[in-house]
Amino acid sequence: METKISVKSLNLHYGEFHALKNISIDIPENSVMALIGPSGCGKSTFLKALNRMDDLVPNVKIEGTVLLDGKDIYSPETDVTLLRKRVGMVFQQPNPFPMSIYDNIAYGPRIHGVKSRRQLDETVESSLHGAALWDEVKDRLHKNAIGLSGGQQQRLCIARALAIKPEVLLMDEPTSALDPISTMKVEELIGTLKKKYTIVIVTHNMQQAARISENTAFFLHGEIVEYGETGQLFSMPKEKKTEAYITGRFG
Amino acid sequence: MSSKSARSEFDRELEGLHLDLIRLGGMIEEAIDNAITALVRRDKKLAQNVVDNDRRIDDLDHAIEAKCLSILLRQQPVAQDLRAVSTALKMVTDMERIGDHAADIADISLRFDSSPFIKKLEHIPLMARIASSMVKEGITAFVKSDVESSRETIRRDDEVDSLFETIKQEIIAILTQKPAVADQAVDLLMIAKYIERIGDHAVNICGWVIFFVTGEHKDKKII
Amino acid sequence: MKSKFHRSSAKTADKAATAALYMVAGLFLVLLAAFTIYIFYRGATAFKPEYLSFTREGIGIQFFNTIYLVLISLLISVPIGIAAGIYMAEYSGGGRISRFIRTCIETLASLPSIVVGLFGYLVFVVMTGSHWNLLAGALAVSILNIPSLTTVTEDALESVPELYREGSLGLGATHWQTITGVIIPAALPRILTGIVMAAGRGFGEAAALLFTSGMSSDVNFRNWNPWSRTSPLNLLRPADTLAVHIWALKTEGIEENAAQLSDLSSAVLMILVFAFSLGSRCIGDRLERKIAGSEPKGSKKTWKRK
Repeated sequence: METKISVKSLNLHYGEFHALKNISIDIPENSVMALIGPSGCGKSTFLKALNRMDDLVPNVKIEGTVLLDGKDIYSPETDVTLLRKRVGMVFQQPNPFPMSIYDNIAYGPRIHGVKSRRQLDETVESSLHGAALWDEVKDRLHKNAIGLSGGQQQRLCIARALAIKPEVLLMDEPTSALDPISTMKVEELIGTLKKKYTIVIVTHNMQQAARISENTAFFLHGEIVEYGETGQLFSMPKEKKTEAYITGRFG
Repeated sequence: MSSKSARSEFDRELEGLHLDLIRLGGMIEEAIDNAITALVRRDKKLAQNVVDNDRRIDDLDHAIEAKCLSILLRQQPVAQDLRAVSTALKMVTDMERIGDHAADIADISLRFDSSPFIKKLEHIPLMARIASSMVKEGITAFVKSDVESSRETIRRDDEVDSLFETIKQEIIAILTQKPAVADQAVDLLMIAKYIERIGDHAVNICGWVIFFVTGEHKDKKII
Repeated sequence: MKSKFHRSSAKTADKAATAALYMVAGLFLVLLAAFTIYIFYRGATAFKPEYLSFTREGIGIQFFNTIYLVLISLLISVPIGIAAGIYMAEYSGGGRISRFIRTCIETLASLPSIVVGLFGYLVFVVMTGSHWNLLAGALAVSILNIPSLTTVTEDALESVPELYREGSLGLGATHWQTITGVIIPAALPRILTGIVMAAGRGFGEAAALLFTSGMSSDVNFRNWNPWSRTSPLNLLRPADTLAVHIWALKTEGIEENAAQLSDLSSAVLMILVFAFSLGSRCIGDRLERKIAGSEPKGSKKTWKRK
């Protein structure tokens, strides 16, 4: 499998705090990479480093390279808005904008210059199909998105991310606020999306990581302790720390 | 496993599973030994005892299976825990079979009349001793997570196999000379075959012990 | 036993607090109702149709002046206040400069309106060499309103969940696209409330207007040429508002019916404020529905065909 994102000796500091320590990892194309680890281990920070959302944090210092298709996203030539168009993001809390379902999804294409109503209509429909939400909302596209259930809101956020036709989808604990049925729907969706997109997902739910991912990386204190094929990592981890963490015998 | 662990309840369950397997191991070793003793000494009471006891082995086997399934359902174990439970689940099947074979041997010796053995029983008890010790070693290896001794035990199966070959040749030789004793000859051959199967099951147990420790079964990653 | 006692005493305290708060609220409502009824009663008893005329005898001119002045002051203060609020919330960064600006805003907000009025007189009237005029009054009211509009806008923008901001930036939007596309629409209801409050202040303001827009009007309601001295639309003519008119009638009114006129003016002013609040809430609701999503005509059919 081709490498989509290649991270080499990435170090990230928040002021004095060394949040990511010498991270090197290759993320293969069209697959799901799960990031696991205890709270504060740096996995979410790492995720945000992949589309430079960490730029928004004051006093952040980043060294090392993150290559997307071989090009360094931290080089001065990188247009951050274009980068984020290629590397979309879905957050922990479903965060639809307080506008209609249609406008939520059309928001991305519109800010990237799509004006034609017909083209927007098509994008909205295909994105909602892509997020397995079309049948549930097709009759109320112009109703407020806040009226959707939590699970629908999260799939709407996925549809919104799909609408700008990204190549990579970053997901930060996308199901932690959802009930089991909605969680299963989102997981199933991830299973279909990985055929077209490269997905990196942070999760606290180890069973989820085992269910949906091809590869898993275990973060601890800002370092990657171990990463590899998911089945291998969950059945026969190489590192004692990984074993202790995933079997719940931590610390 | 540390007592400070966040999963002490789970640890106790795994510990209990461990103890059950050791207990089952003891029961099947005893069954093999008693079946052979009953055969050699023509002790029908002891043989009957072995047959009756097989019921208890089956019960414990079912109890262990139920525990494993309950752990899988409620704890969703991963890594070493997953390997421990799946190893127990596989081992217990082999152990139950060993118990069955011991009961089969005892069952045959119950059928023997008082006519003398067609030859002196020396290879069969030797073979049984080796098979029985293989079972014991397999269980011990599991308790100690000992890969080396498991490999050693697997190698000893060759001895059992060659003894079986020897016994087979002997019986063929006897049969060509005295076809009248065919009945007993076939029974003895079957006993030898059962013991040979016990050896194979001991090999399986050792194979699962190696998986438990290394994550590899027969030198292959299975997950 | 001790905990049981504790429990019941906590319950008693809870009941007592609830009762006390209900009483305070009730008292306040009664007071408010009494006050409103009193003003309406006085206004109704003083009412004569000719008092509503657009002449020296009536208060029609003041009524028009009030609305016109508030409108002009909103046209000045709303863009400045909102722009300043956006700067404070989104760009200032909380450094030394922004702390300085915030101190200035707070000081400005706590200025007594008479001081603003005198400042307006000095700058907009004396220094420009003009006479009392409506524009000077509108500017003075704007000075009063800009600090609160700035603060309200800043608070409204800052209360928009960080999630929206992240969501928008995560889609590749620029900062400005995020502000205009997501943050301001989400903050609009609160900003609108701030504008309504600013308008309310304009309606009721007297002290700041005494020496800026003046205490008299000389208007011909048949003259709609904005450049003419006597046109109602002229920005550089003196213009007394209802509130100023009430003050003038009460302090130096020499007409026989001064008392009745001021009573009627009070009632009319109150109705005006009330109507404005209702109207802007209506507009706000419609605006919110439009942003948040409703059922625009024709759109449904487009989607049904599939």
